[in-house]
Amino acid sequence: MALKALDVYKLLPKKNCKECGDPTCLTFAMKLASGKADVDLCPYLDEEAKSVLGATTRPPIRLVKVGVGERSFAVGEEFVLYRHDKTFYHPPGILFKVSDTWEPEAITSATVRVRDEFFTRIGTDLRFDGIAIENTSGSPDSFARAVSVVEESADLPLVLMASNMEALNAALIQVGSYQPLIHAATKENFREMCAHAKKHSCPLVVKAQRLDDLTALVKNCVAEGVKKLVMDLCPQFPGDFITTSTAVRQLAITRAVPDLGYPVFIDATDPHLQDAKIALGIVKYASVIITPPLSAASAKAALTLRQNIYTDPQKPIQMNPGLYRVGSPGKDAPVLMTVNFSLTFFTLQGYLESTRVPCFMLIVDTEGLSVLTAVAAGKLNETLVRDSIKKFEVEKEVSHKTLIIPGYSAPLSGRIEEATGWKVMVGPRDAAEIGEFLHQEWKKTKDQKQ
Amino acid sequence: MVYDLNFGWNGAIGQVILGATRAEGGTRNISYRIGGGTTLPFLDGNPSSPSPLVALEICDNPEYWSPIIKNYCGDLVDNVHEWATAAEKIYKADLVRLYLTSTRQRNFSDISSVGKTIETVLSATALPLIIEGSNEPKIDSEVYLKCGETAQGERLLLGTAEAGRYRSIAAAALAYNHSLIAQSPIDVNLAKQLNILLREIGMQRDHIMIDPYTGALGYGFEYSYSAMERIRFSALKGDTDLAMPVICSAIDSLNIKEVREGDPALQDEMAIQWEFYTGIAAAVAGAEIICVRHPKTVAMLKNAFSGMRSGSGSSEVKE
Amino acid sequence: MITKINHSLSYDETAYHLPISFALTGIAVHDQKAALDVFEKTASNPLVASECILAEKTAAEGREPVPYTGFIDDTIIRKLGYSLVDGSILGLALVVGTPPGADSASAICRELQEKYMLTFLAGDIVGTLSHAGVKLGLEYRLIPLGSKPTYGIHFVDIIARVAMMFGGVTPGDISRLLAYAKERAKAIVIVFPGLSDQEIAFVDGMRVLGFPILSLGDYHGGDWIPASPDDVVRLGMEQKGIKVNVTAIPIPMGCSPAFEGKSIRKEEMYVEFGGGRSPAFELLRMRPAEEVTDGQVTVIGPEIGSMKEGAAYPLAIMINVAGKMMKKDYEPVLERRIHNFVNYGEGSWHVAQRDIIWVRISKEVVAKGVKIEHIGKLLASKFRMDFPQLLDAVSVTLLTDEVKVLEAKKDAEKVYAERDARIKGMRDADVNTYYSCTLCQTFAPNHVCVITPEHPALCGAISWLDGKIAFEIAPSGANQPIEKGAVINTQNGEFEGVNKFVKKASHGEIDRCSLYSVMEYPMTCCGCFECIALMLPEVNGIMVVNREFKGITPSGMTFSTLAGTIGGGAQSPGFAGISKNYILSDRFLQGDGGIDRLVWMPSQLKEELKPQLVKKLADRNKSDLFEKIADETIATSIEDLILFLDRVKHPSLTMKPLV
Repeated sequence: MALKALDVYKLLPKKNCKECGDPTCLTFAMKLASGKADVDLCPYLDEEAKSVLGATTRPPIRLVKVGVGERSFAVGEEFVLYRHDKTFYHPPGILFKVSDTWEPEAITSATVRVRDEFFTRIGTDLRFDGIAIENTSGSPDSFARAVSVVEESADLPLVLMASNMEALNAALIQVGSYQPLIHAATKENFREMCAHAKKHSCPLVVKAQRLDDLTALVKNCVAEGVKKLVMDLCPQFPGDFITTSTAVRQLAITRAVPDLGYPVFIDATDPHLQDAKIALGIVKYASVIITPPLSAASAKAALTLRQNIYTDPQKPIQMNPGLYRVGSPGKDAPVLMTVNFSLTFFTLQGYLESTRVPCFMLIVDTEGLSVLTAVAAGKLNETLVRDSIKKFEVEKEVSHKTLIIPGYSAPLSGRIEEATGWKVMVGPRDAAEIGEFLHQEWKKTKDQKQ
Repeated sequence: MVYDLNFGWNGAIGQVILGATRAEGGTRNISYRIGGGTTLPFLDGNPSSPSPLVALEICDNPEYWSPIIKNYCGDLVDNVHEWATAAEKIYKADLVRLYLTSTRQRNFSDISSVGKTIETVLSATALPLIIEGSNEPKIDSEVYLKCGETAQGERLLLGTAEAGRYRSIAAAALAYNHSLIAQSPIDVNLAKQLNILLREIGMQRDHIMIDPYTGALGYGFEYSYSAMERIRFSALKGDTDLAMPVICSAIDSLNIKEVREGDPALQDEMAIQWEFYTGIAAAVAGAEIICVRHPKTVAMLKNAFSGMRSGSGSSEVKE
Repeated sequence: MITKINHSLSYDETAYHLPISFALTGIAVHDQKAALDVFEKTASNPLVASECILAEKTAAEGREPVPYTGFIDDTIIRKLGYSLVDGSILGLALVVGTPPGADSASAICRELQEKYMLTFLAGDIVGTLSHAGVKLGLEYRLIPLGSKPTYGIHFVDIIARVAMMFGGVTPGDISRLLAYAKERAKAIVIVFPGLSDQEIAFVDGMRVLGFPILSLGDYHGGDWIPASPDDVVRLGMEQKGIKVNVTAIPIPMGCSPAFEGKSIRKEEMYVEFGGGRSPAFELLRMRPAEEVTDGQVTVIGPEIGSMKEGAAYPLAIMINVAGKMMKKDYEPVLERRIHNFVNYGEGSWHVAQRDIIWVRISKEVVAKGVKIEHIGKLLASKFRMDFPQLLDAVSVTLLTDEVKVLEAKKDAEKVYAERDARIKGMRDADVNTYYSCTLCQTFAPNHVCVITPEHPALCGAISWLDGKIAFEIAPSGANQPIEKGAVINTQNGEFEGVNKFVKKASHGEIDRCSLYSVMEYPMTCCGCFECIALMLPEVNGIMVVNREFKGITPSGMTFSTLAGTIGGGAQSPGFAGISKNYILSDRFLQGDGGIDRLVWMPSQLKEELKPQLVKKLADRNKSDLFEKIADETIATSIEDLILFLDRVKHPSLTMKPLV
C-alpha cells in the first residue's frame, strides 16, 4: 500500500534544505505520497530509504511516453481501479492502424485524418493520437515503404507492428529516432526485440496470454535494459480483456505484483466487435488502443467516451465565463444567468436551443461549481453577477434590464437586484422547464411592457 | 500461478424476475431472471450471470419522440401495436419499454385509453414489458392503478419511482405483483435512501431495479458511470440496500447537439453509435438492462454481448 | 354456535378462503371440520368464530339485499390496498351500532370522508344513514357491510387480506399478522350504542389487533375509549397516528422558494415590524398535544386593516407545536425555519431571528387581501408540510398589541437564555449517540464525518443537534446515529462504536478514527472543510489555515495545495479538515497535547475568533498564549516561524515531538 505523507516525512532528512525544489520536507513528503514527485530529487536520502520510498510512492502503473517531443503522448501513472476513488490521469492514445498491404492512397488518407481531424467538445479539441503500421505482408520492403508513406504526410506518434526482425529494422532505420512503440516482444523473441528497442530508446509492447508469462516477460525485458514497457494481454474474447485487465490493474495498484505495473495495450481491430472493443479498452484501463480508421460517428462517440471517463470527478470542467448567444438574440432577448460548470452550461444550452427562443447566456465564474454548490459556498453572489454584467458589457447588448436567474439561486434575488440595479426573475430549478418558463413568464413581461 | 485478487466481496446482486409465462400465470413467451451477479460484470470466467438485456423504447404518442426515430421507423411509430411487434420480431429486442407519452398532453384524463394501449401492446408482443407511467404526478394514482391492473399476472417492470413520488407506483407493484424502477439523481446515497423508503412501504428488495439516471454521453455520462460502479461495488461489499440490478436509459442521447445537428446523412449512424458506446460502458459498470431507442442499436449491443464470452450466452432463458 | 355449522362455507370471490382463519393459521376453511380445527388452534378466538358463523349463514341464507355488500371480493380489496399504499386513502374505519339520530351519524361519516378515511358500516347505522338520504357505496367511501354489527367481521377479513396481499404476511404467521395490524394497518372502530352483549364481545375481540375502539355509547368496563361525536374521529385518528397531510396554503398570495431572496424595499412595503423601529420577536415552543389545535391562527391586536401605510408596529410570532416525536431540543432548529418560511411568501420578508427580527409586508399583497393572519396560516401550513413525521399539530398566535408584545417578550428572553445555557453546556461525554454525515459522499465516496456536541461537522454547517433532528426527520437520510460504544482512548477520543461505524460507512477504507487528534487516525476529509489543521514538525506545533487565506503558509503550501492532497475521503495523519468553530472547542487538539500546540493561523481568522478564543484561553489560565500564536504578518516561512516561536517562548517548542 502507498505510504501516507506522515510516514514518508519520517523517512526524509527533515532539513528543509529546499534542494528538491520544495520549500519544506513536509511539502515534498506530501507530493511523494501522492506520486507527484520523484524520490531522486532529494540529495540526502540513502539508498535504502530511496528504494523503500521509490517503491511505495512511484505510481503503481508506470508512466510511459510513446514518441518524442511534439510527436508523443504519455500514458500510465495511474493509481486506482475505479475512477471515482480519485481519477484516471492519462487518457489512452487511440491510433489508426494501416497495413503495409494497403494502397498508398489508403495509408495517406488514414494518416491525414489523424493529422487533421478534430472534434471540439466543451472547449477542448479531441483528436486521435497516431498511426500504427502493421507488417501484414511480412516483407521488410513493403513495411519500409508503408512507413515512408506515413512519414510523408505527418509527424505523428507511431506504433510499429511487426514480428519479422528485418522488417522491424527497416522501419526503425527510418523512424527509430522518433521512439515509436514496438509491438511486440514475446517469450520467444524478447532478446532481439529488446535489442532493437534499446538501440532507439523505444517503448516496447510485451505480449503473453497468461499473467505469469507476462510477469516473467516483463522481468526479462527490464533485465535486458528496456524499462518503457506496455503490455498486450492477448485476450481471446472481449470478456477476457475485461477480466485480465482488471486483474492487472488490481494487482498493480495493490503492489501485489509490481511487475504488472505497466500500461495496457489493446488491438480493437475486429470486423464485428470493433466499437465494443474500443469502448471496453477505454473503460477498462487500456492505454494504447489500436483501431481501424473509424467512421465519423464511431470516431466522435469514442473520443467523447474517452473524454468523459478520463475527466477528474473532483474537478468539474469549467466554461470560460462570458456572454454566450443562443441563436441570434436581439436587443429585447432574454438574458439568463448561470454558473460556468460545463454540465450546467450544456444542459441549459441544449434546452434553450430546443425552445427556439433567441437569448443570451450570462456565464459567471463560480470556478466550475454547480448552482446549488456555488450558492451554498457563497461563490455565486451579487458581487460576482454585478461584476460579470459590467465585464461582459451586457448592457450594450440588450435594451432591457431584466435578468433571469436559476431557481436554486432564488435566495440571492433581492441582493442581485440591489447590487446591479436590474430586475430579477427567478427561473425554474430544473433546466428542463426553461422552455415553459420562457414561453409563459418571459412572454408575460414582454406583453406587460406593450 | 493463480493470482489471488481478493476484492473482499461477500454480497450478491438480488434477482428480479420479469415477465410471466403461461406456466407462471402470464402470457409471455419468456421470463427473465435479472441480476444475481457476485462479481463485477463479465468478471467471472463462467457465464453464470446472464448477459445484459437490451430493451427497445417505444411510445404511444410519437409527438414527443425524437424525429430521428420517426424518420427511421416511418409509419410504425403511429401504431403502437405494430411498433411493439417489430421490436420483438424485426429488431429482436429482449424487452419492450412502453412510454405512455399520450399522458403528456395538457389535462390528460382518459385513463381508460391507458388500459387499452397496454392491452394492445401485451397482445402485440410476447416479450416481458417495461411500462413507463405518466409525467404528471396528479394522475399517478389512476394511471398506475390502470397499468398494474391491466397487466396483472404479467410481472411487469413499472417505471419510475423517485424520492418524492413513489407511492402510487409502489402500490401498483404491490397490488399486482410487478417490479418497479427506483430512480435517483446520480447519487448513490439518494439511491440507497429511496430503496429504504420503498422497503418501508412494503416493497420487497427483489422487486426493485435501480436507475441511477443516465446522462447522455458527453452530457454527464461519466457521473452516471461512476454511480453505477459505486452501486455495484457497495452491493458486492454487502450493502443489501443497493444490491439491486441496474437499468440504464440515456434518454437524452438523441436530443443532444452532436446527434441532432450533425450531418443529416450520418444522423442514424450518430444515434446508433452514441447509444452503443453509452450502453456498452454502462453494461461494464453493472447495468443489467440497457434501454435504447434506435432499432439498429439493439442488434449492435446484442452482438457485442454475445461476443463477450466465446460467442455464447445472449438473453437468459427461463430456467 | 360454531358447533352448529352444517353447510360448507366459502366465498367464491377470494383466493384466501376464510381470510381471518387463513391468515392466522394457514388453514383453508371450507367445512365444519376445518372450522372446528381452526377454532381450536386459535384458542377459541371470537373473530375466527364470527367469521365461520357468518360464512355459514351467508352460504345457507344467501347474501343480504342491496345496499349491503356482505363479503367483498379480492379485486376490490386489491384496489383498496392500492389506495392505502398510494396514500389516496389514509386509513379504515368501522362504525357499528344504533346511532341516536341521523345527524351525529352523518356528521361523523362526513368528517371521515373529508379526512380521506374509508368507512365501513355494520348495524342499524346503515338504515339510519340511508333514510337520511346519505349516499352509500364504494365510490362514496361509506361501505355498508351488513345489517348487524357482526357483519363487521368483514372489516377484519379485509384487513387480513390486505396484510397477506401487501404486507408480506404469510398465511399462518400470527405474529407478523398481528404486527401488521397493530403497526401498519391504520384502522379504528367507532361504536354507537345498542350493541348486545354478544356483539360487544365480538367488537372487543378486535382490540387484539391494535384497533382503538371508541365508544359513543354507555359501555362500561373494558378498554374502550369514551368519546363524543364531535371529537371521536379526531381522537381515533390521533390514537392510530393517522395524519392528514397539508398540501395547500390557503392564503391570497404565492408561497414558494422562488421568492426567498426577494426583498421588500421601503417604498414597496405596506407595514413593517421590528428592525429597530418597534419591538418584535419570534418564539417556537413545544406544547402538549391537548393544548395545540392544528392549523389554528389567532391575531391579538390590530390587523392590517387598521394599520397605517408605511408605519412600524410591534409583532410577536408565537408558534406552538405538538408531536409524538417532537422534542424540546428541536425548538431552536425549527424556530430558524420561520425565517425561510416567511421569505417564501410572495409579499412577506423576514430578517434575523429571536428578538431582533425585522419583518415587512408589501403593498402589493395587502392590495390582494393579505392580512397578518395569513402570515400565521403560511407558517402553520409550512411547518406541517415540511415536518410531516415530526409535528402532529401547529398553531400560531400573532400579537400586534404593544403591551402584550412587550410582556410576552420578557418570557421569550428567558427561554432564549435557557437554550443558550443548555447548548453551551453540552459535552461529548453527556451523550451516548453521535451522528454521522455522508452528504459529501457524492464527491468523496468514502468520507464520513462524525459529529459530536463538541466537534461539529468540518463544513461548519451541521451541529450535533442538527444531525440529531435531521435523523429524526429523515431516518434513512444522510445523518445516522452512531452509538459510541466503549472508550478505546479518552485523550484521542477513540471509541469502539465510532470505529465500527466509520469502517462500514467508508466501505472498509478506514479502520480507526480519533475524534480529537490530528496526528493519529484523524477524521477523513471530503473537500468542503472551512479550515485545515496540520502539523509543523519542526516546531512541534500545529497550524491552522482557513479557506479564505490565499497566501503561503509556513508548511510551504497554500490552503489550495493542501486541500487538493488531503481531500477526497483520505485519512492523512498529521492533517485534518475542521470547521472554524471547532478551534474554539475544548476538544480541539486534545489528543495531541492541547491548545498549547497551536502555533500559527492567518490574522483574519485570528481576528474573527479573537473574542471567544481570548476568553477560552483565559478560562484555562493561558491568556498569554494568544499573542504567541503567529500569523502571516509575523511569519510565512518555517524559518521565520521558528525564530518567532523561539523569541516568544511558545510552549510547543518544549513539548513532546510530534513525529
